Amino acid sequence: MASPSTTIEQQKKPERSLSPWQIARKKYMKNKLAMISTMFLVFVTIMTLLAPFLAPYLSPIPDISKVNISSMNIPPNSDHYLGTDKAGRDVLTRLFYGGRISLLVGFSATLMVITLGTLVGSIAGFFGGFVDNILMRFTDLVLNFPFLVFVIVLNTILYGIIDGLWVLIIVIGVLSWGGVARLVRSKVLAEKENEYILAALSIGCSPAKVIRKHLLPNVLSTIIVQATLIFASMIVVESALSYLGFGVPQATPSWGNMLSSANEPDVLQGKPWIWMPPAIVLTLTILSVNFIGEGLKDALNPKSLR
Amino acid sequence: MTTRDFVQERIDSLEEREVLLDVQNLKTYYPVTGGFFKRVLGHVKAVDDISFTIRRGETLGLVGESGCGKSTTGRTILRLAKPTDGKILFNGKDITKVSGKKLQQARRDFQMVFQDPYASLNPMQMVGDIIAEPILNYEKRNKKELEKEIKALLTRVGLPEEAYYKYAHEFSGGQRQRIGIARALALNPKLIIADEPVSALDVSVQSQVLNLLKELQEEFDLTYLFIAHDLSVVKHMSDRIGVMYLGNLVEVASNKDLYREPLHPYTQALISAIPEPNTEIRKERIVLQGDVPSPQNPPTGCPFHTRCPMAMEVCSQKKPPLKEVRPGHHVACVLY
Repeated sequence: MASPSTTIEQQKKPERSLSPWQIARKKYMKNKLAMISTMFLVFVTIMTLLAPFLAPYLSPIPDISKVNISSMNIPPNSDHYLGTDKAGRDVLTRLFYGGRISLLVGFSATLMVITLGTLVGSIAGFFGGFVDNILMRFTDLVLNFPFLVFVIVLNTILYGIIDGLWVLIIVIGVLSWGGVARLVRSKVLAEKENEYILAALSIGCSPAKVIRKHLLPNVLSTIIVQATLIFASMIVVESALSYLGFGVPQATPSWGNMLSSANEPDVLQGKPWIWMPPAIVLTLTILSVNFIGEGLKDALNPKSLR
Repeated sequence: MTTRDFVQERIDSLEEREVLLDVQNLKTYYPVTGGFFKRVLGHVKAVDDISFTIRRGETLGLVGESGCGKSTTGRTILRLAKPTDGKILFNGKDITKVSGKKLQQARRDFQMVFQDPYASLNPMQMVGDIIAEPILNYEKRNKKELEKEIKALLTRVGLPEEAYYKYAHEFSGGQRQRIGIARALALNPKLIIADEPVSALDVSVQSQVLNLLKELQEEFDLTYLFIAHDLSVVKHMSDRIGVMYLGNLVEVASNKDLYREPLHPYTQALISAIPEPNTEIRKERIVLQGDVPSPQNPPTGCPFHTRCPMAMEVCSQKKPPLKEVRPGHHVACVLY
């Protein structure tokens, strides 16, 4: 039985309560699938970031940009753990370097999409009326752009002016923020009806501060979940465009570029070591990002019991 | 000194004080739009030409049924809703038209306590930050000192100091309302607009919060505009009471006069509806017929004539102005 003194101490102990974010983190840590996915993603990210340092240990030909006629199409062996492709480049090394590009495109494009979408959506939702009308019609316009055609044309126009990779990131980012803007706007519209927004105005917060400190933290959970899903789809977009030959320039390895060699029937049927590794890593990465998104959704939703 | 003498003295002393808030012919209309081009089809006349004054240190109660515009009045004075017409003078300064930075500065002197304690506190903010925010909006402060100050404020409104580190969801409705009151007090405002501060609370908690508000008024020399629909709550709190109907102020009188001798037929009906705890006394209840007309299309003449038991021919033609029929007792009715 507890003596009176310990009960007093127990009451005194929780001096600082858990913030809603800390509660969400605790919930997230308990989600096994999401934690495994997080670990996988962190592992992949670290490996790709370390690619230049790891390359010399992975294969006898660490340079992934040079064509090596002497070592074309070698199946996996003790020299090349995953074999070499039709230009004689080590697949494993390219897989690591390719991950850098795929993840970089995914991350940067997502960051751009979320920033633009949140900015437009929150301003439209908060001010309403005329501002809302103008911004949302503009959003509709952007959403109506035929994505593929625009990417291909802009990529061609901007090629050579900006580094090929960043052309892709900017083009994807500029064309895809519409959905996020709509989502954020609808969330802000619902959230701003709460009296704490009126209260914030009446205690002298400027509109910018109300959006930043009161509205956004309360819609951030939705934005974060959306961001993970967009991250996954951005990686797919990059791969699809690169596969078609309109994405990352051919010389730079990316998972999509590596996959594009599978459009030769000979490679597809007879040399699976060339396209299987990027396909598997790509699938697993997207899957884990989606699991992370799902886990965040549960963790950030105060009503979910998991 | 008996209680009555005390009350009388308070009223006398209030009459000598200067006017803090002067509302003149205030109108707040909300446009009703429709169609593809958002044509203005009409206006919801939420507040339709009301005038009143509040003296420093006084509590003006504002009663009326839901939808009569009492909350809109409060919000318009704070400029959270846009006034369509009229003037709001605060301490002699016209605040009807100010905007931007100046409005932000003006808001320092009047604060609001909100109706719903569950929606009026940001769920993502620590209680300490909620209360510190108004101060930090206007001044740069030393963190340690500010924390001390806020903890003192928390103690003053009846919360433990540890509440500083907690979040709104960890408190009950009454406690949350205390946090809301502490936030309103943080800037040392002159006027507090209390928009139905207890209507969302348990009856047992209501009286605690009301008494807290009264104590704070004494201590900080606060002026209240107290909005409520509960007549007994208003009676407990107010020095003077204004009765609103359909966006209009139909009667303004001192607390005592209004309950003892209501003049406007609407006020009479309202007061007859207060439940009598003594079952021996049989009260005659005035039951009003029909519904409140739409504020989008209010009746011509006196807004109450469609339901008034004493309505006459003239009532539907001319809107009676609010006039002083006895010292300090204003009524808008042709009968007087």
